[in-house]
Amino acid sequence: MTDTVAPTAPTAAPSRPDPADRRRARGSGPSIRSILKHAVLILCALVMLYPVLWMVVSSLRPNDVIFRDPSLLLNDLETGNYAEGWNAFADPFSVYLVNSSIVVLGAIIGNLISCSMAAYAFARLEFSGKRWWFAIMLLTIMLPIHVIIVPQYVLFSQLGWVNTFLPLIVPKLLATDAFFVFLMVQFIRGIPIELDEAARIDGAGHPRIFAQVILPLMVPALATTAIFTFIWTWNDFFSQLIYLTDPDLYTVPLALRAFVDAQAGTNWGAALAMSVVSLVPIFLVFLFGQRFLLRGIATTGGK
Amino acid sequence: MQRRLILRGIGASAVALPGLAACGTAGGGDMELSDEPVTLRLTWWGADTRAELTDQAIAAFESEHPNITVKGEFKDWAGYWDALATTTAANDSPDVIQMDELYLASYGDRGTLLDLADASDYLDTSAFEEATLAAGRIDGTQYAIPIGAGMLACVVNADLFAQYGVELPDDTWTWDDYAAVADELTEKSGGAVNGSSVTGGTDAGSIRYWARLHGNEVYSEDGEVTLDPTVLASLWEYNLALVESGGVESPAQSVESQGAGIEGGSLATGKIAMGFAYNTQITPLLAAGGADLRLLQLPGNAEAAANFVKPSMYWAISSQSEHPAEAATLVDFLVNHEAAADILGTERGIPANPAMREHVAADLDEGGRMAVDYLESAATGPAVAVTPNGGSGFDPMIQRYTQEVLFGERTPQEAAEAFIDELKTEIDAAA
Amino acid sequence: MSATTELRHLGKHGSTAKRQNKTAFLFLLPWFLGLFVITLGPMLASLILSFTDYNLLQPAEFSGLENFSRMLGDERLHRSLGVTFTYVLVSVPAQLSLALALAIVLDRGVRGLAFYRSMFYLPSLLGASVAIAVLWRMVFGADGLFNDGLGLLGIEGRGWISEPETALGTLITLNVWTFGSPMVIFLAGLRQIPAMYYEAASADGASRWRQFLSVTLPLLTPIIFFNLVLQIIHAFQSFTQAFIVSGGTGGPADSTLFYTLYLYQRGFGNFDMGYASALAWLLLLVIGAFTAINFWASKYWVFYND
Repeated sequence: MTDTVAPTAPTAAPSRPDPADRRRARGSGPSIRSILKHAVLILCALVMLYPVLWMVVSSLRPNDVIFRDPSLLLNDLETGNYAEGWNAFADPFSVYLVNSSIVVLGAIIGNLISCSMAAYAFARLEFSGKRWWFAIMLLTIMLPIHVIIVPQYVLFSQLGWVNTFLPLIVPKLLATDAFFVFLMVQFIRGIPIELDEAARIDGAGHPRIFAQVILPLMVPALATTAIFTFIWTWNDFFSQLIYLTDPDLYTVPLALRAFVDAQAGTNWGAALAMSVVSLVPIFLVFLFGQRFLLRGIATTGGK
Repeated sequence: MQRRLILRGIGASAVALPGLAACGTAGGGDMELSDEPVTLRLTWWGADTRAELTDQAIAAFESEHPNITVKGEFKDWAGYWDALATTTAANDSPDVIQMDELYLASYGDRGTLLDLADASDYLDTSAFEEATLAAGRIDGTQYAIPIGAGMLACVVNADLFAQYGVELPDDTWTWDDYAAVADELTEKSGGAVNGSSVTGGTDAGSIRYWARLHGNEVYSEDGEVTLDPTVLASLWEYNLALVESGGVESPAQSVESQGAGIEGGSLATGKIAMGFAYNTQITPLLAAGGADLRLLQLPGNAEAAANFVKPSMYWAISSQSEHPAEAATLVDFLVNHEAAADILGTERGIPANPAMREHVAADLDEGGRMAVDYLESAATGPAVAVTPNGGSGFDPMIQRYTQEVLFGERTPQEAAEAFIDELKTEIDAAA
Repeated sequence: MSATTELRHLGKHGSTAKRQNKTAFLFLLPWFLGLFVITLGPMLASLILSFTDYNLLQPAEFSGLENFSRMLGDERLHRSLGVTFTYVLVSVPAQLSLALALAIVLDRGVRGLAFYRSMFYLPSLLGASVAIAVLWRMVFGADGLFNDGLGLLGIEGRGWISEPETALGTLITLNVWTFGSPMVIFLAGLRQIPAMYYEAASADGASRWRQFLSVTLPLLTPIIFFNLVLQIIHAFQSFTQAFIVSGGTGGPADSTLFYTLYLYQRGFGNFDMGYASALAWLLLLVIGAFTAINFWASKYWVFYND
């Protein structure tokens, strides 16, 4: 490495460490700078992680210790919280995990398809009133859900959709998450237009350009969308609270909140244990899914 | 109102509007038991234990009434009220509703609850005492039936008293005695603990009790705000003095304790030696800390008999219910039948029905026994008026003003006047 | 609309406008369906309700501009505006710069990249978990970890979450703590930059720093812009964290009374949905104005490839 600037400054080619560089870095052994960098990163990671670690540790503590001990040391191990939390309600916790998974899966598929289609239109096609439609799309995410929910409930209850997963999934199939449309528009516009034109010269129409040129190149945006949709839907409380009334259909956030009763007492050990359990799927999805974030234009050749 | 706008009329453009106007008196079905299969929705707030017990009680009910299926829906406290308001607005309310004193008039006055007198063929209220029933009545209409009885109590941590060599007070104390004990505790502990929590201003009950000690009431029978600002200000002045002397925990610690709930609060974690809670909350308090906690009469009550029974919660029936007779039968089962009492015990409070209270008395746990003993020994004054329509936000509102006073943002007198103004505005707007 | 100048550039490479209208309509069909069937109706309903007195349980009554004139004298509203603007102006820049800095560091082939990225992202996964309230008290409470740390430095702590002067600060910290979401978007954006630009730049002999300034940063501007717009919108609508940490009150003494939290209290806590709807539309105007300014300003600094 030849750069002389402090390690955290963005000196090296920020996005494209060329393989030769890496080999050189490895060959020269850990430099003081790289040790320092990792030390700083690990320290940051610990600060970031303390609360999460505390949650995991506390879920293994007896109830009467939880609120007295901010440390991470575990004196008496109380694994009973997990069994207790898992079976706290009429349905085992797995039912809520499965319900959440169904909603999440539907939402991801819906968002990936509908938002990418809309984004292609906004980014690559010319049509009348486009800027107004775009502005309207942004406006739709500016109203807080609390004033929308009552009329929306009326609508869905007239469709007979209350107490099903449909009010949570169908809107995603119809690209109501404008956040992701906007995200994808920004990504598509980062893809060189020359690639489209090359495909057009080869005789490709818009559907083919969309499916065969743009989509493969926007895998990072699609992965981002999928991961975000997963996390937000997994954690979403309000709409699930309103639309799911039958406990057999409850999702993870509803079950987690139901542990808490400020008046009559809360089994915090069980609540924290199940919070940890509910973190596992999203953490795994992120661990697994993040490699798709790296499949940019660069890795697919860049032409 | 002459400018009444039925949104239904302009709903053509907005798909969602028609139902908005359809609630209220849009009444339920026949007041007769059906032979056909009927499905009822029963909703409550509460945690896992309550869900488990209620499901068992539902099963017992269903086996007695084979044609009725009951769907239980449980939610956390805040989510419960959001969901109830939304479903009621959309004319899709559950049939049987667990109701709270703060919200009873807000729903009752607006015609969304069934007059239980109409269901008297199926729901027998004769076992209840008149004062108990009155707590579920608004302008003479019985909208709800109390499930459990609760009463504000002083909770003392006898372990901390012993540790610091302070004598446990007897029940006949005054607020001056209380202040002296609180200061003594703080002093003898060398500041390791504080004597007491803030003694009032975090919920409606504490304000009502303080007002009654001073010959005042928060609300009159006809739902007017009658609270005297000087009386309210004196409560805050009392606490400010104790914060100053150290007898009461710091405002910051008090806010933190409130946010931490029963289990994480100062009382359960042993940061204070005296505090206030409803008698039935002794059970979670005992479970959380493991300390030797006792229930004492509120200061001043031995002389003034100003304390009062507050229904911990109620059962009510939606006026939108299509099966009011079956719903009433279910409520009757829950409050009057020993089979249900055997299952439900005291989880929703000491049963308000005296017969059931007696029935469950035999198998009470330690906390339950303490709560019952307290309820039966405490001196009480006349019943308090139900919180009027518009008063549902009382608790967060009084907490906000209390914090402003304790953190020195307002003087007690100024805050008391502003609070009463705001409360009146809310209630007038709702009427 | 300032968005218009910005959007004029969208898709100028198309062929005849007529043919693209049809194609565009097909691509937008799901979105149009969603807009007209699901989104617009309830939005319109709330707009109408903002001119009414509506308590949720009884029919709405037309009240003209009363809800809007009431805002002028509503002290809690003014307070919540102050809280929200402070929050937006402090937490958005702080969160975005941290996210960008770490994305750039992490993108540089640091060994264990996946590990760090996951660690930094973990807090964002907690979302609306009930555990957040407990966690935050453990960190910023009077007996919390933060005070323990200060104690080591000989500084006396305080009840950060429970005192009106500092409570908002802890919520801003909580938001910055979840910088993982914009960081992931930045990382994805960095990956999207075509290698050919770097190849061209190094062929021209540009230093790494030069490459960062002339290739990375300009090509990342659409993503920076996106994150900025969206984080501002989200910050204005911030609700869940304040709701959970303050138990729905916005306390202590209204010091964390976010706009949406106040709106929610009015609508559901006080059965004042007409006023809450009016508040929501005022918020829409404010956010809309901020977004419009953003789009207008973007033409000076955002670089597109198309």
